[in-house]
Amino acid sequence: MVRLIIDRKDLIDTISSFKKKGFSYLVKILGIDYIDYISVLYILRNLDSDEEIEIEVHLNQNDLWVPTIINIFKGADWYERELYEMFGIEIKGRKVRKLLLEKFSENIYPLRKSFKWGTK
Amino acid sequence: MSLVKINIGPVHPSTHGLLRLVVTLDGDTIVNVEPHVGFLHRGVEKLAENRMYMQIPPFIEKCDYVAKMAMDEAYVATVEAAMGIEPNERAQYERVILLELQRIASHLLWLGAMLNDLGHFFSVFMWTFADRDKVLKLLEEATGQRMFYVNMRLGGLRQEFPKDFEYHALDVLTYLEKRINEYESFIENSSLFKERMYKVGVLSRDDAINLGVSGPVLRASGVNFDVRKDKPYYVYKKLNFKPIVLYNGDNFSRYKVRILEIKESIRLIREAFKQMPDGNATGMPIKLINPAPKNKVVRVSREGPRGEIMFYLVADEQRPYRLAMRTPAFINLAALNHIARGNKFANLFPIIGSLDLVMADVDK
Amino acid sequence: MLINELIEIIEYFIVMLITAFAFAYFFGWLERKFVGKFQRRHGPTYLGKFGLLQNLADFFKLLTKEQVWPKKADKLLFLVSVFLIAGFTLYLVMLLPIYNFYIINSSIILLLIFIILSFLPILIALNGYSSSNKFAMISAQRSILLLISFEIPLFLVLIAIGYYVHSYSIVSIVNAQSNLWFLFIMPIGFFVFLMALLAEMERTPFDLREADSELIAGWLTDTGAPYYMLALFVDYIRSFFGAAIISLLFLGGWYGPFGNSFIWLFIKTIFVALFIMFIRAIAIRMRIDRILYFGWIVLLALSIINLYLVYLGY
Repeated sequence: MVRLIIDRKDLIDTISSFKKKGFSYLVKILGIDYIDYISVLYILRNLDSDEEIEIEVHLNQNDLWVPTIINIFKGADWYERELYEMFGIEIKGRKVRKLLLEKFSENIYPLRKSFKWGTK
Repeated sequence: MSLVKINIGPVHPSTHGLLRLVVTLDGDTIVNVEPHVGFLHRGVEKLAENRMYMQIPPFIEKCDYVAKMAMDEAYVATVEAAMGIEPNERAQYERVILLELQRIASHLLWLGAMLNDLGHFFSVFMWTFADRDKVLKLLEEATGQRMFYVNMRLGGLRQEFPKDFEYHALDVLTYLEKRINEYESFIENSSLFKERMYKVGVLSRDDAINLGVSGPVLRASGVNFDVRKDKPYYVYKKLNFKPIVLYNGDNFSRYKVRILEIKESIRLIREAFKQMPDGNATGMPIKLINPAPKNKVVRVSREGPRGEIMFYLVADEQRPYRLAMRTPAFINLAALNHIARGNKFANLFPIIGSLDLVMADVDK
Repeated sequence: MLINELIEIIEYFIVMLITAFAFAYFFGWLERKFVGKFQRRHGPTYLGKFGLLQNLADFFKLLTKEQVWPKKADKLLFLVSVFLIAGFTLYLVMLLPIYNFYIINSSIILLLIFIILSFLPILIALNGYSSSNKFAMISAQRSILLLISFEIPLFLVLIAIGYYVHSYSIVSIVNAQSNLWFLFIMPIGFFVFLMALLAEMERTPFDLREADSELIAGWLTDTGAPYYMLALFVDYIRSFFGAAIISLLFLGGWYGPFGNSFIWLFIKTIFVALFIMFIRAIAIRMRIDRILYFGWIVLLALSIINLYLVYLGY
């Protein structure tokens, strides 16, 4: 499992350079709340050599945004929407800014650790 | 020409659950399809963070209520990977057999539902439903449950296969093989069927990769990727397994890939029964579970009937710190807009059908 | 004199009504049972012997349901069109002769029947349009599509029959088949006629109007339960009409071995109905953009060929 921790400003460049190298398949975008920071993972796959790579971005809790990669991977659309909805991570550069599932309530992001299970 | 917006669902005969589509039509041509999902959202990922490891399978199974075993197995395999447990060889064979049986059951149900979407009056649906029931009976024999098995335990299964299981299974497989051939000739000799399936809902190879679809939808577009072959798990390496790849990317290819997959699964199960060693496949009882190493990160991919199931687990001692799921139907549905655009309105439902959606799987 | 005639007409109406209703009910039951058997299940078994009372129970159940009016519907048009559809369909059945038992034996009766029949899709379109439901609206459009695709081939077949018999009276048409059925004289015409009638009766593969996997219930989507029930019943009556007219025009009507009797007509009607049900059980809905092609290229060509063959053979 190769993991690459990069800076947010290099994200677009890194992902597009990996895509050029043959990592043309986006498996999943997911977020993990580590309390100190939230990390966003982009899992890419090379369909020919079956290699996989995880590109990780660490986001500060009070500066939550990532640039959109929808121009590189069309399939990122719904993952990004989910990411925004579940973690409150703003996706910059998107045209469509619709929620995927439902709006639960203002400023409640269920997959953050600060959202305790059983609360409303 | 003015555009017409039509709201379809969430309750509609052929949305396979609770899916709402807002379709923009120009005359009879689809300009845009906007899926609205989330009617079945239960927050499984959050729930998992608040449960012990082996309390999770019962509800993670309900994510994909058509292929329950696949979900169950993928999750348990993830936990096994986190704890460093490897099931013994017999358990691996038994798991493969159960998974392939589940795949057959799932594809059979899909076949009937697909024909219904095409306007068939339930005939094939009833036939495949009856055949699927035979497979479910087998699974019941092996696991004790008909629908929701919760059969996987760390390092094996809850119970060993019963004595006569192999004979019964092989009987059913012979029967199924005959039936599948019958369905194939019945369906494919119909020119009405061909007309509605050929070159409808075409998804090109590049688009399929770019959109990130998986499973039969990806393979129907000519991408040779099957987790069972390319990132083999269990004994798939030892079995002589060939992924099914077709190149047209239309509805018919998606149909044909699944039909051929059923045949391939039948062959795989036979082969697995032949190779299966003796031994005991029973896994650990639920109560005797060691704590997992803290902050260990594992990622496990599995080829489910609908596509690639991936679990990403950040382990804590007693319960997952974070359990992220890649459910196959979710991203296949996201590709719907791309596939359906430019088609006739009447072709929308066959296209949805050919994606094999389970809405609980989409909404998580 | 006049009173006697009037009594005769009323008698005929009552007999035909009872026949039509009995057949519609019987078809409803037969279809559920037959298609059920075809699909490896039992069909209704619970109410009455062989589930014969099931449809009656459904009938009463639908009567007890609440009638919901679509908010934006044109209520008057909506209601009137449902009743007009029912009325015209019943009127169609009234015009059918049963052996020597008929109300009018005019030489243009067949044309009258099919003019009324081609009026039905327009009424259906009107109904779909007035309910202001988008599914019903699409269904209305498709209804017109079917109308323009199948009317001309249908009438060309009728012209061939009329040319052959020198009359459009159904009685003379049946009498002309006393030796050989028209099925054997003009098999191509029979095929065209069958296809067009299937479209007329909303049967697969042409059930585009009521495509339940696409349009929920087509033009009936927003119809409340009592009117839905009425429409359903009319649907069965239309099936009866279709089966009867096929057996009259192509299968020799009441001619058969062991004497000519209306029983032969009934038997043939039931067989045609079974055949239609069989098609329903196995066929897939046709692609919508192929309908025009099918109607205007395939069927029109076939019907013209049929007409020409009849002309040559005559």
